[in-house]
Amino acid sequence: MNTPAIEASLDQLVEATRVNRQVYLDPDIFDLEMERIWGKAWIFIGHESQIPLSGDYFTTNIDHKTPVLMVRGKDHKIHVLHNRCAHKGAKIVTARSGKIAGAFRCPYHGWTFKHNGNLLKIPNESGYENTGFDLNDSCNNLQPLAQFDSYRGFVFASLSDQTPDLKTWLGGAIDCFDNLCDRAPEGEVEVAGGVLRYEHDCNWKFIIENLNDTMHPMIVHQSVVQSAEAYISTLDADAAKQKQEAEILLPFGASYENFEDSGITGFPYGHHYDGGKTSIHANYSVMPEYHKAMIDRYGEQRTQGIYAFNTHNTLLYPSLTIKCAIQNIRVIRPVAVNKFIVETWSFRLKGAPDEMLQRTLLYSRLINSSASMVGPDDLEVYRRLQEGLASNSSQWVEMHRQFGRDQQLEDRVTGGGTSDLDVRTQYKAWRHYMLGEAML
Amino acid sequence: MNQSPVETVEEFLYREATYLDQADLESWIQLFTEDGTYWMPAMHEQPDPMNHISHIYDDRVLMEIRKRNFIHPRAPSLQSPVQSSHLIANIREEGTTTIGERIIHSNFHIVMWYREEQRVFAGTYQHHLQSTASGFLIKHKKVQLINPEAAQKSIIIYL
Repeated sequence: MNTPAIEASLDQLVEATRVNRQVYLDPDIFDLEMERIWGKAWIFIGHESQIPLSGDYFTTNIDHKTPVLMVRGKDHKIHVLHNRCAHKGAKIVTARSGKIAGAFRCPYHGWTFKHNGNLLKIPNESGYENTGFDLNDSCNNLQPLAQFDSYRGFVFASLSDQTPDLKTWLGGAIDCFDNLCDRAPEGEVEVAGGVLRYEHDCNWKFIIENLNDTMHPMIVHQSVVQSAEAYISTLDADAAKQKQEAEILLPFGASYENFEDSGITGFPYGHHYDGGKTSIHANYSVMPEYHKAMIDRYGEQRTQGIYAFNTHNTLLYPSLTIKCAIQNIRVIRPVAVNKFIVETWSFRLKGAPDEMLQRTLLYSRLINSSASMVGPDDLEVYRRLQEGLASNSSQWVEMHRQFGRDQQLEDRVTGGGTSDLDVRTQYKAWRHYMLGEAML
Repeated sequence: MNQSPVETVEEFLYREATYLDQADLESWIQLFTEDGTYWMPAMHEQPDPMNHISHIYDDRVLMEIRKRNFIHPRAPSLQSPVQSSHLIANIREEGTTTIGERIIHSNFHIVMWYREEQRVFAGTYQHHLQSTASGFLIKHKKVQLINPEAAQKSIIIYL
């Protein structure tokens, strides 16, 4: 990598209302993003409910290549460790999830480690006597991440010890975790129904810049909306089964005015959500049995307050997106400058009837599956971006919409729902991480 | 409709595969019963399509929407042609369902050409077939990939 040259150009790549195409194309910039954004920010690892019992683990990469594991200790605490043996460096576990049998055991020379990563035993240990090797040196443990913490079960980790604590970093966007969990009559959610993995052959930033791009659904998703309308119009109006599919698909054709009204709210570190007062999820029917469980737990007024927090998509920049009203999340796992994987996880609201999880899964299938009629059209336009930006006819991608009309409040910035505020919020964080500019 | 000679299970499966090879969803949907379903699980031995995520679990409603979307001029992902070749083998009958449908298992290899790339899908099919006066109808088709948990690129047509 020609670091000095890249370094000198970084400052020129992102302006207030446009970004240079190289941020999507240049492998050296991708490497720097991995080091400075993904290597500093809090990255979503997983949810505590994925590892309910002592010894349960879940593995992932925290950036494009660094393997980590999240494990439940004997004391029931969560640990996030580098998935690398302290001896020769072998990856300790390869399964995406599992349960350790007694201790972590490296398959190469049989070093074993406790649940919390501490070295347990080395075979034929006498060979290390009087060699200067110190069995009790913490460098011989599976190394913990520089920081890890969780909020309402959502586990994050950071490769940097300089990143502010998780709650400070989440800022006002923390409300979305509260709302998601409060939608459970028991106040907690758990991962349920497995995961979908969707390979995207394009730059990782396209999906998070599209997340709250409310100028695209009526264009990109016009075909599925019209196809659904065309078929549903042939049916008996009270064919109940059709309603839920229609309820999910048709709002993708909502008007510009409707999206404008939903508003966008941005926070420090690149987080944002659209909606709040209203969103494309606002008119979902409430299942009577679920509603009753909510009223029993929270009372009428609080329940209505929970429903009324109607966000569409939330981004915790750069790795996690949340749909509170749907109870699913998407997790971005970068691979290369032109490749990333999206994971879609669904949640069960504890204390809610099974129908709520089934609706979440229906949504994930209809919208987020690689075999859906929505996700592939989004990916297609990202690919067109990746391919079109190879043209040198212009160096710039613009983000002017409603520039200068944002309302700066104490801890957040708000604007119209069709504003590019969400993208500008992300690039402010990009400059913070990449160039060291102040965030607050 | 008189079919003479009567279509065998094998011939029926080959005809279904041909409709998919030709991307003729209009004819393909007619092979299903009104309450027929198409299921592509997202794990091995997935117990059911409702309480666990699937790549696809379509009833007639979604098949009808997909059929219209597939030929819609404004679906960005469908502006590139898709071409498939299905091979079906190891066809065996595995009994009947509780309501008398024949359960047919088979293995499939599908090569698909889409967006300048050739991809391979492999796995097993399970068809639940109803025998009617005019031939077989599919009550349920399950597509079990050998790698149901792998990250997939866009799958824009039924396998």
